[in-house]
Amino acid sequence: MIAITILGLSLFSTLSPAQDVRDVAKQTSLPSLPKDMPSWIESTGADHLFYKAAPYNWSINRIPKFARDMYATGVGHAMAYEALVRGQAPTLETKTFDSINWVLNHAPRLPVDEGAISPTFMRRYGYLEKVFDWAHLLHFQTIDTFSYPGWTDEQKEAEIERLWAFYSSQPYAITGLPMNMDYLDSFLYSGKFRTDYPKVNGLFWGYHWLQTVNYDMLYRVPVRDHAPQYEVLGERYHETELYKTDRDFMPMTAEMSPRFARRFPQIANAFDNLHMLHDNVNDILAQPSLSESQKQEQVKIAIYRVLASSHKDEKPGEGAENTLHDHRHPPSMPGMGWMKGSEEDIMWMSGMGWMDMSECSHCSISMPEGNPWGATVSAEGWTMMVRCLMCARDMAGETPGRAIIRASTNDPNRLLVLISDEEGNWTTNIKEVVFLEKFGEHPECSGWSRAFTTIGALERYVAANPEFKDTKPLKLAEWAALNHGTPDTYRKIDKPNPYKSGGGVPPPVSKGGRT
Amino acid sequence: MKILNTLKNLVAVLALFGMIGMSTIAQAHEGDCPYCKLKLVQNTKEQDNEVVLKTGNKRIEYRCLYCVFKDQKRYKGDLVVYAPSEKVGEPVVLKRTDGKWTAPEGTLFLNTFKKHADCAALSRAFTTKAAFDAYVKKHTVTDAKALTLAEFIEAVAKPAN
Repeated sequence: MIAITILGLSLFSTLSPAQDVRDVAKQTSLPSLPKDMPSWIESTGADHLFYKAAPYNWSINRIPKFARDMYATGVGHAMAYEALVRGQAPTLETKTFDSINWVLNHAPRLPVDEGAISPTFMRRYGYLEKVFDWAHLLHFQTIDTFSYPGWTDEQKEAEIERLWAFYSSQPYAITGLPMNMDYLDSFLYSGKFRTDYPKVNGLFWGYHWLQTVNYDMLYRVPVRDHAPQYEVLGERYHETELYKTDRDFMPMTAEMSPRFARRFPQIANAFDNLHMLHDNVNDILAQPSLSESQKQEQVKIAIYRVLASSHKDEKPGEGAENTLHDHRHPPSMPGMGWMKGSEEDIMWMSGMGWMDMSECSHCSISMPEGNPWGATVSAEGWTMMVRCLMCARDMAGETPGRAIIRASTNDPNRLLVLISDEEGNWTTNIKEVVFLEKFGEHPECSGWSRAFTTIGALERYVAANPEFKDTKPLKLAEWAALNHGTPDTYRKIDKPNPYKSGGGVPPPVSKGGRT
Repeated sequence: MKILNTLKNLVAVLALFGMIGMSTIAQAHEGDCPYCKLKLVQNTKEQDNEVVLKTGNKRIEYRCLYCVFKDQKRYKGDLVVYAPSEKVGEPVVLKRTDGKWTAPEGTLFLNTFKKHADCAALSRAFTTKAAFDAYVKKHTVTDAKALTLAEFIEAVAKPAN
């Protein structure tokens, strides 16, 4: 039997056909301007585009703390860019960091015109600001749509599709195709900013965490349940995510909001490509060996790389590997580009290690066919997909800190949102929620561990599945007190961190309190 | 992809059946310690290694006792810690109630690691001095000092050199 197990597990780990595991080599010379650079990039006009007229605009303000934190991200970017172009890079980690940090902790109540904060940057890089602005507007209008109380989920999803079409119709639009992130981070200047200015880079990647983690907080979640989730996420943002300087790579949309990224892969990809453009620009501006004209040229090339017009008629999953036109994506996640060291669905997630996106993060069994997600668990800054309520609860239960579970129920239009305190005591958005849990084998856990919006719905499920006729329905407190620990089927993918030459994260410095 | 998933499920079922057959071998969580980020050390037939912290409905595993005590500030409520002892299956139960730690009478602690790679072996609890001495002798631990709970807490609280 042991032999079967070992055989099984070893097969399990090799079944995913390894695709191209080569990393992209760092380039040794600066790229040159392409011949088909769009003409608008030379225009000095402001060409300011504004919101699509809609009843939902500014609905983000229904979640005041979140809105203010989002408005503050723009201020922080603008302050840092202005400092960089005015030759104040030496004080970026001190004076500028302190200024930005003050704003983050005293966030504005209204969006701030970045041009008023970064006039020098705007004069020199106005063409870049057009691209940033247009994509940031997509960020805000998609958030507004989800935050709007007047529409059904179906209406909102249809509007999100229209917003994407509206966004894509303009020349400043960033492509919604998955891009090879390793390639986009392979230039001569790549990594300069995060190496030389880790604290400010930490803030920027913290913004990207906030700008991507919010979508699963909002998507198909009743508007009254948005703000309670932000109490958890906002606290995490302010206490930890903004000040992390040990991330391996910028947070990706599909890592932070996997449900949203699966439903709207083009938008998830566009946000990641936007954030990668931010990183490229940071690196270019922070590179002292580049002249001003070289910086201008490299910023234009960086914009060109991610523009939709540069990838016209190209398709997801296609394109030459490890090039600008490499549009591969993990098979189960169309809303994410190819990452360093990726193999099929397996990728390195900063803070979590190697994860397989096609599997439950808790029991390692493939996600059920036809029901792409059972639940997600958000804790410690990550969001993971799991097959069932039990996996969600037990994964949260073995993780320190507060947690959020978003789970499917018998009613496809009613998402269960559970929020736990530090001790694993849960509150629910569905007062009558009742759970079925008849512990069995994990490959079937999505059948025997489920949530129902009413006892009647559970009884109907049991009537159709008589194997559960003797299983006692559980109220929230009864269900919350259970814990089956880590499943036997769980497997940790044991490979070194591709972002660190030595592999692994160094432990805290200590000598064990030895006297 | 469907075929791949079906195959994966099949293999997972086989693996599960295999593990049911291995039920005498202790199963452990293969995660990382929340404090030192190194891998959790699994129990063996000869020695328990898992350190489990319970707070409310949470059950969180650590690599060693030192890691638990270093990380305790994040927990506001009462804590129960199941610390591996010299006896397999019989952990020492430590409690933090209203911020005050208690341990069974006679409990002694070893805390003498230089780097976290060794913390699971060198930050442990023992039910008696004889058990402490036997462990130290068996593992040829140098500079070993049997600490009371108060001494252990004081040692952990010292900043790293």
